[in-house]
Amino acid sequence: MNGLHSLLAASASNAALWTFLVYMLAVFSLAIFSNKLMRGKNFLSEYFLGSRGLGVWAFALTFAATSASGGSFTGFPSKIYTHGWILGLWIGSYIVVPICAMGLLGKRINQVARLSSSITVPDILRDRFRSTSFGLIAVALIVFFMSFNLVAQFKSGSLILKTLVLEVGVFQDASTAVNGWIEGIGFLEGVDAGYLICLLTFGIAVIIYTTYGGFHAVVWTDVMQGIVMVVGVLIMLPLALMLVSKGAPEGTGGLEYATRQMIEMVPPEEGTVTLHSTGVVTENLAIRQGDWLTLPGESPRLFRVTGESNIPVGSSSASDVSVLEIMTPGDINRVLGHEDTVIRSDLQVDLESLEMTAYVFGGEEDRNGNGQLDEGEDRNENGKLDHPQKGMYVTGPGPDKREMNGFLPLSLAVSFFFMWAISGSGQPSSMVRLMAFKDTITLRRSIFTVAMYYSMIYFPLVIIFCCARILLPGMENESDRIMPAMAIFLTENIGLGWLAGLLVAAPFAAVMSTVDSFLLMISSALVRDIYQRNINPDVQEKTVKTLSYIFTLLVGLGAMAGAVNPPQFLQDIIVYTGSGLAAAFLAPMVFALYWPRSNASGCISGMLAGFAAHLAMYFSGIFTNGSFFQPYRLLDFDPIIVGLFTSFAATFVATLLTAPPPRDLVQKYFCKPRTES
Amino acid sequence: MSEQSTDRSPDQMPEPVELEYDPVFIHARREAIIIFCTWLVGLLWMVPYCYRYGYNVADPSQITTVFGIPSWLFWGIAIPWIVANLFTTWFCFGFMKDAELVDNPNEEIKSPAEGMESNQ
Repeated sequence: MNGLHSLLAASASNAALWTFLVYMLAVFSLAIFSNKLMRGKNFLSEYFLGSRGLGVWAFALTFAATSASGGSFTGFPSKIYTHGWILGLWIGSYIVVPICAMGLLGKRINQVARLSSSITVPDILRDRFRSTSFGLIAVALIVFFMSFNLVAQFKSGSLILKTLVLEVGVFQDASTAVNGWIEGIGFLEGVDAGYLICLLTFGIAVIIYTTYGGFHAVVWTDVMQGIVMVVGVLIMLPLALMLVSKGAPEGTGGLEYATRQMIEMVPPEEGTVTLHSTGVVTENLAIRQGDWLTLPGESPRLFRVTGESNIPVGSSSASDVSVLEIMTPGDINRVLGHEDTVIRSDLQVDLESLEMTAYVFGGEEDRNGNGQLDEGEDRNENGKLDHPQKGMYVTGPGPDKREMNGFLPLSLAVSFFFMWAISGSGQPSSMVRLMAFKDTITLRRSIFTVAMYYSMIYFPLVIIFCCARILLPGMENESDRIMPAMAIFLTENIGLGWLAGLLVAAPFAAVMSTVDSFLLMISSALVRDIYQRNINPDVQEKTVKTLSYIFTLLVGLGAMAGAVNPPQFLQDIIVYTGSGLAAAFLAPMVFALYWPRSNASGCISGMLAGFAAHLAMYFSGIFTNGSFFQPYRLLDFDPIIVGLFTSFAATFVATLLTAPPPRDLVQKYFCKPRTES
Repeated sequence: MSEQSTDRSPDQMPEPVELEYDPVFIHARREAIIIFCTWLVGLLWMVPYCYRYGYNVADPSQITTVFGIPSWLFWGIAIPWIVANLFTTWFCFGFMKDAELVDNPNEEIKSPAEGMESNQ
């Protein structure tokens, strides 16, 4: 479909496919092995919690892999590429994420879960306060948030898989065949056949191994996926630095050179143009995404096609072709000077027809101070900006196509400190993992391991994809694919194309490890928290087992069905559900674990208040910004901050206003066992 | 809320003086407070530092680098990252207390309804 894809076709797609198959084989073996392990153990505790026996590697890597969802390997690199070094601050709080997310609650939640024999998060809240309704409220919120999240994750997994196999012959044939079958089926109307195949492959694989293997299968695949991710990054880092330093002058380090080049960079412009062919075409002339075009002159202008188009038979031009203009002279020289660059010499850019728009922040100095780009005043007769701004990619708040205040204004930088470290601690999926470690030695070593693990992933990613700005200019329009593009580019250059398969598997692994654990959380909520604890407490072990398999299967199939026609705003759904869960669960859990005076009324109030306050910010977005997914930002802060503060305040106040908890409960959960009467 | 035993008389209220808290709880709470403070210190170092030296730079061509990283990011993020890792290492191996975490022998996972009857 474009330059990247033909590159994929050339070398790596088959390798990627083979890597994927080997990888899936390993996953299934792990599931079978886990299933064997379950025999002779308490089914529920083993299936949903691995019998609380996780050791260091399993615990650390399952924790790291679950929280590093697909975003870390698609969204994050794309953001680094688009906004530059500022992403270092965006991700900054990851320096304390391991110690916060595992240390804040870890030891106590594990202890309390053991004391109450809980295996799910609602279990803990219910037993800790001896309140059935609290348990049910928690279940409802978990199922609500996680279902949405699961659908979004299924979609993102399928899209990543599609990138991986797009150029594989078998896949293309299958797409064509499936396209024929689904025609006329109402439910599948307008669904891309390729996407559907990927969804089915991805979905069925995840559902089967999760359903069959349970918690241990999820944990072990997480471990494998975690290793794939870190190995991928550690291979890419030296390669990226090495390739960048090739262009550097004598005595300048690769990264130094990259940063110096980035200082000179100016954000690209987007727009449309009319293209003329050299004469009337006799057969359809395709204009493909990724094609390079130039406008020769003293200082040539360089464009890249961003949308497919064509010049039809009998015509000699195509109008309104979407293009991106590279604005940085250094980038233009690099592209034109590169041996592999093919310029479409058969197409001419019509200067008169150019209609380009610069970034709102970073594309232009706002010389009139009116917050607007003033086309007439600030452009010269060629339509080029007079004063494009340099240095945007190496300073804050970072260039941004749409946001007036740049990519990361101060308030958002603060918000992300809450988002990653604090909200990360409040995820029920993390809490479940904290209930599963074997002993405190495991906890201590795991916090250390995760800290090292994150250090090896996140800051190196910033460096790698800053280098990508120099190595692969003009990818702004398809920045979501910068990760596979960079993987292929780097490995091609050292003649190891097959390695790309492993690198491209990393983001896929990341999504898979998130999906499987969420799947298990929803089904555990249904089987344990609703059926066993409320409908039929005396249920037989055999029935529980059957039900667990059935529910895991059904939830998975449901989410997959939802993802056939998935909602848009993929990333927004993930952000909404993640921060919403934290707003609802963190405060009640903190008070339940650390404050003997806390009671059910207080914690329920806190949970509902946090949920409502957070939701209210999103609802207000409909009226103030015109979309649910552009939430109202109170004092410019993200809704997560409003949600967390409301939740903590509400829990505290409501607790003090209501009666203290019964003494025996306090004794059970806060005092030494031997003092129990 | 309805299950909450609000009918208990005040003399049954928990009075910390009478209760001997479990050391696991005390240690865990102390560790949690320290972790929260660590987060706060991280926030107060990283965001203001980066904002002061890395935002709205008048002349970006004058930006200095350390090991090729813009210096505001090096001192604002990379160095704190190393410090945080050292702190985490000390915290995990030199400060955090071990505790014996034992399963409650009285409560079987298979009997979830236990303890619920008293309120019904």
